[in-house]
Order: sequence, then structure tokens, then C-alpha cells
Amino acid sequence: MRIAVGLIDVSTGEPVQAELFDDVTIEDFLQTQRDWRPLVLEAAQRLTRAGDRPSIIPQHFHWDWTRKEGDLRMLANRFYGIRREDKLQGLAKLMTVGHVCRLPEQAGKPLVYVDYLEVAPWNIKPLMTALGRPHRFAGVGTRLVEIAVRLSVDEGFRGRLGLHSLPTSEPFYINTCAMTPVGPDATKQNLTWCEFTPAQADGFLGR
Amino acid sequence: MKMNTDPNWLKKKASMEDGGFVSVGGLVSEIGMPGREFPVNADPLRHAFVRLLQLKRREKSLSLEELANKADIDLAELMRIARDEHHTPNILTVCRIAEFFRLPQRPLLALAGLLEPTDDSFQHESLRFAARSEPVEKLSREEHKALEEYVKFLCDK
Repeated sequence: MRIAVGLIDVSTGEPVQAELFDDVTIEDFLQTQRDWRPLVLEAAQRLTRAGDRPSIIPQHFHWDWTRKEGDLRMLANRFYGIRREDKLQGLAKLMTVGHVCRLPEQAGKPLVYVDYLEVAPWNIKPLMTALGRPHRFAGVGTRLVEIAVRLSVDEGFRGRLGLHSLPTSEPFYINTCAMTPVGPDATKQNLTWCEFTPAQADGFLGR
Repeated sequence: MKMNTDPNWLKKKASMEDGGFVSVGGLVSEIGMPGREFPVNADPLRHAFVRLLQLKRREKSLSLEELANKADIDLAELMRIARDEHHTPNILTVCRIAEFFRLPQRPLLALAGLLEPTDDSFQHESLRFAARSEPVEKLSREEHKALEEYVKFLCDK
């Protein structure tokens, strides 16, 4: 699958066309290591020197992509990327089995689980501000969540979605996406489990 | 898969996302471990949170049990929030409290120490509220007697 999606070019405030694709390869993951990591580390060092504590710098689970090649071949795992200007702008790994809803009103029902979602550091304003540059494209995170919701609809899960949000990402998932924060998950380093009901997913899609 | 092509929807969503963090898993695990520490002391804010909850509950003349039932909150969790200011409340509980009392969700989460406060004035105003809302009614005869006895006990030590 390769389809055109819009992102917002921050310099003009206008939509530009990007490519959404699902034939993600190990090369794409290696590209995130090569292109994203140095920028993230540099920004993080500057934030630390500026007096910000590590806890307000993005915290992430450890993901060693070089060991994830097997994941690419598993049918229950779906990988999506967004590319613009020959660069990866965001990546997501979604799972269609292995997790169920936890909200009381839909407990036990199947959902799409967001196992990984990340946007390129040049699209994250706090990191680029630390580096003295403007961020590049807006709406990449929104597009990746949209993909997850649409996959959930296609799978017959009616938009039900679940994920473990990092503390720094909670404002995005709870306030911007309006997911329900179900609570900390002791089995996942107390990260907050957030969930979409079908009605919330419809609201997110603007239906 | 058909994606939304409405540019207004995209602009609105992108504006709300505002270049903030969206990560689920990912890079830079070397930099910081997942945690809930914020660069402010959560205790004074939580004191304001507990006082706010207490006053809103009394405003509606609800016992803790009635509030737990009406707002669909676990009573034990509500009791802990009311009695222990060091207890970190469950996020869902705070969201249900916000919904029940029609309070904005994000500031209430910040007050409960679950999200980073937006600015310094938030902490200042919350402290001011907590201090001003302390009860000043006269002691009952029983309270007065208990206080005197306890102060005497302290003095004799």
C-alpha cells in the first residue's frame, strides 16, 4: 500500500503531500537509528545542560530495531511509515492480536494495540527549539493515530484502540486525541494505558 | 485504507498536536527512564487537589460513599485520596472526578501531580486556594477538650 496523505509544513502552515506506506523494511528502522538518533541525543544533551531534568525529555522504551527483523514477518504486526522529501517522518507498529480492551464498558473486546509510534525528531518542537531550529512538519503523530484507528475499523474492531503512553506523550493522547486514560499499568513500568471507544474513535476521525 | 483528505481537519489536528511528544516506545531510552517525576514539588498541589475535592463534595452535600457511587469511582481509592495527600491518584479516578464536577481535565490532572503544570502561576494560585480554604470555624467543646489534653500531653513530655 502506498497512498498520499497530507501533513502541515510548519514554515507555511499549509498542507503538503507525503506518502503513507506499509511495506516497511529493516532499512527503514536502520534509517531511524542513523538519521533520528543523533538529533535526539544532541537535543537531549542541550536540554540537560539547560537545566531540564531527564524526566521532561522524551522517555522511551528500549527498542533495538536490529533485533526486530522477525517482527516484520509476523502477520499480526502491521508496520506503517510516512515519508516526505525522501525522509522518514514517522513510523508505527500496530498489533491486531495479543491485547484486549480494559475500559469497563468494553472490557475484553478486541482492539488494535499501538506497540510503537514515533515521529522524526525534526517534527518535535521541544527538541528542535533546544537545537535553535523550527520544527518541520506538523500532524505526523495525528496521521499515525489515524492509521491505527482505520486499521481497527478495517479489522472489525470499530475503532477500538489501546496503547501505553509515555508520561511526556500523555497530553497528546489524553487531551488532543481524547483517549480515555484507564490508569497506570504495573506490568509496563506504570505507563498509562489509554483507550479509544468506537465513539471516541469516530470523534477523532471527525465523523 | 482511505485517509481523511479534509485540509481543515488536518490543520485543526496538527495545530492541537503542536509539535509535542507523541512517542509510544522508541528511541533514546538512554536518556531517561519512564517515570512520573516533574520538576515541581507535587505535594502542595496535591494539598490543593484534596481541598478542592473536599469543598466540591461538600458543596453538593455528598458523602464520600455517595460521591464514589455517583461518579463511578472506587470508594477505597477515593478514601485514600481524601485521607492521604502523598497518595498518587489513579488517572482514571481524576478524570471521573473532573467529569462529575464539570472541572477541566488537564488542570485537575496537574493538580493531582499526574501531569506537568503549565506555568508558575498555576502552583501559586493553587497554594493560595489551599491556604484560603482551610476551615476557620470555632472548635466544638469536644474538639477544644481533645486539643487541650493533647497539648498538655506534649508539654509534659
